Amino acid sequence: MDGLLLEYLPILIFIGIAVVVAGAAVAASYIAARQRPDSEKTSAYECGFDAFDDARSKFEVRFYLVAILFIIFDLEVAFLFPWAVSLGEVGMFGFWSMMVFLGVLTIGFIYEWKKGALEWE
Amino acid sequence: MEIGLAHYLVVAAILFTTGVLGLFLNRKNVIIIMMSLELMLLAVNINLVAFSAYLQDMVGQVFTMFVLTVAAAEAAIGLAIVVIFFRNRGTIAVEEISQMKG
Amino acid sequence: MIVQALVFYMFAAIAVAGGVMVISARNPVHSVLFLILVFFNAAGLFLLLGAEFLAMVLVVVYVGAVAVLFLFVVMMLDINYLKLREGFLQYLPTGALVGLVLLVELGLVLGSWVFAPEAPAQLAAPTPADLTNTEALGQIVYTQYVYLFQAAGLILLVAMVGTILLTLRARDGVRRQNISRQISRTREESVEIRKVPTRGGI
Repeated sequence: MDGLLLEYLPILIFIGIAVVVAGAAVAASYIAARQRPDSEKTSAYECGFDAFDDARSKFEVRFYLVAILFIIFDLEVAFLFPWAVSLGEVGMFGFWSMMVFLGVLTIGFIYEWKKGALEWE
Repeated sequence: MEIGLAHYLVVAAILFTTGVLGLFLNRKNVIIIMMSLELMLLAVNINLVAFSAYLQDMVGQVFTMFVLTVAAAEAAIGLAIVVIFFRNRGTIAVEEISQMKG
Repeated sequence: MIVQALVFYMFAAIAVAGGVMVISARNPVHSVLFLILVFFNAAGLFLLLGAEFLAMVLVVVYVGAVAVLFLFVVMMLDINYLKLREGFLQYLPTGALVGLVLLVELGLVLGSWVFAPEAPAQLAAPTPADLTNTEALGQIVYTQYVYLFQAAGLILLVAMVGTILLTLRARDGVRRQNISRQISRTREESVEIRKVPTRGGI
C-alpha cells in the first residue's frame, strides 16, 4: 500500500511545484504591475467596437450529440483496459463476454451510423 | 494521525449532504440539480471504495465501476431531455415542467 | 505516514469546499468548473485508498467527458441564469434544516456502527495480494460479475439510442451528398443534346 503510494510521490511533488509556479505568476503580476483599472480598460475588447452582445451564444445541438457519443465510447474503452491486462487469466469465457459487450455497443454504433448522427451536412 | 475508514465515511457523508442541500437550494435550475445528483453519486462511490479498501474485497470497486457507468448514462439522457425541453418551451425552470400534471 | 494524512486532509477539504461551491456559485459555468475540481480531488482520495484504476477512470471519463457535457449544455442554452436563482434564499431554511437532519442522522450511524464479526469470512472477492489493482479488477469483472457487465453494456446502448432519438432531428431543405447516387449516374440521364435553332432559344 505504501509502496504503491510512493510511486505517486513524484506526481504529488509535480502538482506542488505547478501550484507554486502558477500562484507565483499570478501574484507577481498582481504585485508588480500597476493596477489602475477604468471602464475602458476592463471592458471586453472587440476590434475597437463596443461589444455587440453576450459572449455566450446558442450553438448547434450536433456538438452535444457528438459529445454524448464520445462519453459512451469512452466508457467502453475504460472497460477494455482491465480486460486487456488480465486476458491471460480470464480465459475463453472472459474473452467472449467482452465480445458480447462489444457486439451490443456495435449495434448502437450501426444504429447511429444509419440514422445519420455522424453526418455533418 | 492514522487515516481510517471513518475519515473517508465522514467526507462522503458531507459530500452527500451537500448534494441534498443543492437539490433544495437550486429548485429552479435543472442543470444544477443534475450536478447535485452527480455529487451524491460521487459520495456513494467514495463509500464503496473505502469499504472495499478496508475489507480487502474487490466487489466494492467493481460496483463503483457500474455506478460510474450508470451515472454517465443518466447524465447523457438527462441533459438530452433538458436540451429538447428547452428547444420546445424556451425555459428550463423546474416548475414549468408540469405538462403531465393531471 | 504523516504525508499521507496531510494529503488526505488536503484532498478531502478541497473536495468538500468544491462541493459547497458547486451548489452555491452564482454562475453555472463556475459550478461546472468546481464540479471538475471535486472530481479531481475524489480521484485523489481513490488513489489514497489504493483504487488506482477507478481514480484514472474518474479523471478520464468524468473530468474528460461528463463535466464537458455539462459545460456544453450550460453554454448551449442561453438563459438568464440569474432569474433561475430567484428563491435561493427562500429555500435556504428548509434546505438547511433537511441537510442538518440528514447530517445528524449520518453522524449517528457513523458513531455507532461496527463490523459484523462474521463479515471478514463473507468476502465475495478478496483482493489478491500480488496483483495490481487493474489486474485484480479484470479478473472478476468479466467472469464473476458477467451479468452486471452485460447490463452495463445494455445501459450504454440505451443511452446511445435514447440520445440520438431525442436530439437528432432530420431537417429538410438541407442538401446532403449521396455518394452512391453520384457515381452511378449515367450519361443518358444527366446530359441532353438538343438542336438549338439560331435566334430561337429553347
